[in-house]
Amino acid sequence: MKKTISLLAAALLTLAACDSIETEEYTVYDGAPVSWSAAPAAPEAVQRAYVEKYTGPKCTNCPRADETLDAAHHQYGDRLVVVSINHPSGQGIPYPNEPDMRTDGGTAWDKYFGITFLPSAHLNRTELYSGDISAMIPIIGESIQNAPSAAIGVQATKEGSAVSITADIQLLQASAATLTLTAAIIEDSLVYKQDHYLEGRIDDYVHNHMLRKVITSHWGRDLPGGQTLLRGTLSFTPDADINLDNSHIVVFLSEKATRRVINCASCKIQ
Amino acid sequence: MKLGKTLKLIICTLLIFNFQHSIFNPTHAQGLLGGHVTGNVQLDGQMSRADSVIGAEEVPERLLLNARADVLYTNGDFSAGLRLEMYQNPLLGFDSQWKGQGVANYFVKYSGERLTVTAGHFYEQFGSGMILRTYEDRYLGIDNALFGASVQYRPVDGVTLKALAGKQRHFWDYGPGLVRGVDAEVSLNSVVKPLSGSKLRATLGAGFVSKYEDDENIPVPGTENRLNLPLNVGAASLRADLGFGGWSLQTEYARKGQDPNAINGYIYRPGNALMLNLGYSTRGFSAGIQAKRIDNMGYKSMRSLSGEMLYINYLPAITKNHTYAFLAMYPYATQVNGEQGVQADVMYKFKKGTLLGGKYGTDLHLNSSLVTALDTTVIGGLGTDGYTAGTFSKGDFLYGDLSLEVAKKLSKTVKLTATYAYQVFNPVVEGHAPDLYHNHIVVADLSWKVSKKHALRFEAEWMGSDSRYDPEHGHDDRRAGDWVMGLVEWNIGTHWFLSLSDQYAYRDGTGNYYNLSCGYTRGATRFQLGYGKQREGLLCIGGVCRQVPASNGLTFSLTTSF
Repeated sequence: MKKTISLLAAALLTLAACDSIETEEYTVYDGAPVSWSAAPAAPEAVQRAYVEKYTGPKCTNCPRADETLDAAHHQYGDRLVVVSINHPSGQGIPYPNEPDMRTDGGTAWDKYFGITFLPSAHLNRTELYSGDISAMIPIIGESIQNAPSAAIGVQATKEGSAVSITADIQLLQASAATLTLTAAIIEDSLVYKQDHYLEGRIDDYVHNHMLRKVITSHWGRDLPGGQTLLRGTLSFTPDADINLDNSHIVVFLSEKATRRVINCASCKIQ
Repeated sequence: MKLGKTLKLIICTLLIFNFQHSIFNPTHAQGLLGGHVTGNVQLDGQMSRADSVIGAEEVPERLLLNARADVLYTNGDFSAGLRLEMYQNPLLGFDSQWKGQGVANYFVKYSGERLTVTAGHFYEQFGSGMILRTYEDRYLGIDNALFGASVQYRPVDGVTLKALAGKQRHFWDYGPGLVRGVDAEVSLNSVVKPLSGSKLRATLGAGFVSKYEDDENIPVPGTENRLNLPLNVGAASLRADLGFGGWSLQTEYARKGQDPNAINGYIYRPGNALMLNLGYSTRGFSAGIQAKRIDNMGYKSMRSLSGEMLYINYLPAITKNHTYAFLAMYPYATQVNGEQGVQADVMYKFKKGTLLGGKYGTDLHLNSSLVTALDTTVIGGLGTDGYTAGTFSKGDFLYGDLSLEVAKKLSKTVKLTATYAYQVFNPVVEGHAPDLYHNHIVVADLSWKVSKKHALRFEAEWMGSDSRYDPEHGHDDRRAGDWVMGLVEWNIGTHWFLSLSDQYAYRDGTGNYYNLSCGYTRGATRFQLGYGKQREGLLCIGGVCRQVPASNGLTFSLTTSF
């Protein structure tokens, strides 16, 4: 009897596993398109490190990761670009009446990389550190000493309610891999509740580097082939609750097949 | 992956332990732990050189090898097995992704009276396979085994419940989709007492399969949108197998949920399929009619993959699987995106001593099939419902054939089989321009048992076709034109055979494909060596096809079992 019940339970679970999508939802907005042209000048050929930090307001040890990355920022300056991603479930669920920092793009990255533990930090999407992420700091130092395979620079300006972004790219090493350009907006100085490993729940914890939106498609837009010096331009209208004065634009180049980030840059919105 | 390695280690240990011991005790192949080990080995090799007339290309490796060894350990209700495979490098026509060697398949299985549990790689089929069929065909280069777990439970006689979950083999890796399925089959004659002795035989079944695959970014051209993909795609089927006296009726209806994928051009139209098979047979006579309609039923565990790999389901062919060379030259490949067809088959045996039966009787076999596309109206492309389709109205003609085979024993030692077939083939099913080929084919097959130790077989075939080989005007199908073929096969004693054949395109075609082969069989071991030319074309088994390129050279194969 138990076996029959188990098989029937399996049947019910399987029967539930079928998605249905309404006609008007067959396609969804996939982020801003990128227009490509030749860049007038090469960007500064400097290698930067890109860190995706996975966090959540109910993760007591996440403030430790914030402290570690703040120290790293102090050490490496703008050679380190950090994007904090609010985990979609569990410790990532916001407290009631608190801002929800979960994003579609962040959730897609989180799921793709199989993030199950908070805090976690992903260096250039190649090395994942979970829990105590301090071991990553010297590796960041080593990674930014490498000669860049591509250089990238970014500028962002307000144009009415929209933000216009210009990313200049120079490919410095020949590669058969298809590269993609991803752009995101991150916001600093966001104040909302956060569990803390020493102080319990802090109501006015200051969150920095929070991913607010992936502006391009979640996995970026393909670079056109055959060009080594190019400019990508795009524009988007930020949501009203994003304070542009506290925000940065982050752009990064990654290999389409492996998702590995090869270089990145960030800038304030002018 | 860790679990997979542990499982592989356990199976290897068991097999090595028992196999080593069985070598020293070959009479019973009995292992130290009890039970016994059986298996088989197959090795196929090919050497080919360039031939511009038939389109064969140079093989840089000179020698291509496909090899495999299956080993099965059985001990009471418990069994375990593994298969070693090697493709160094794969034979011509096999996907280059097969290149490599290793343990490709391993499993442990418990088969009790009521319960069967399998962990590892396994093959399964629900009903006719329209929602789930995993299988392996070494000649097609297809192995879509599930790696996971399967449970089969028979709570009472006549009731079988199945549940399974796993990922499908994809060359030397696994497909990204997770496949889950449940199936139930009830024999009413066993379960319903009044039917237990009834002439009416009835079995009912139902199955459901769900595939989960992660999201991916598929942009909609010309827009800033991407597809909102269903991550869980379900397919369900209901089936009945009825019989009464000499009559039988098998039917199955399947539906598939929204499944935008590379095969259907990423449309959201749900799929459906209906299969009906009505038959009657009595001594000396049988007749059957089969009907099938498929609408968008390609179901894979990797949505972005085209080709024949990683199909979760199988859509049975509705045309006869011909064996004679020219009858099989234009095989029909099932069109998973949509087709409908009927097939009728009649076999009659004229009794001995009658006018047409003569001294030994005469067998007559008539078969005809007709397949058309669905009558569709396109309403959009990627990211839409794709099209609407009339329920039974006809679309483009795809394939039709009519064949009549007469087999007659002329004397105690001579048997003649004569076949006439008419085929109409639309090359659009192979991705070519829709330019119908009309083929008339005649085959004469004569077997002569010369003595107790010697037998000869002669085969003559002719095909007249309105197709032409004219590459300068885009007609580059090397099967085109009119053909003749002759074959002589000599079985020498109980061990040797020798065969010589030639296919020649004598008008509007190209190529002269001669073949010489010989073989030696002793017990369960067979070795075959051949030299000649292979025509490019399709190899189809049950409607599933593999492209076979032209080759010119040596082939050999060795099979044995223990």
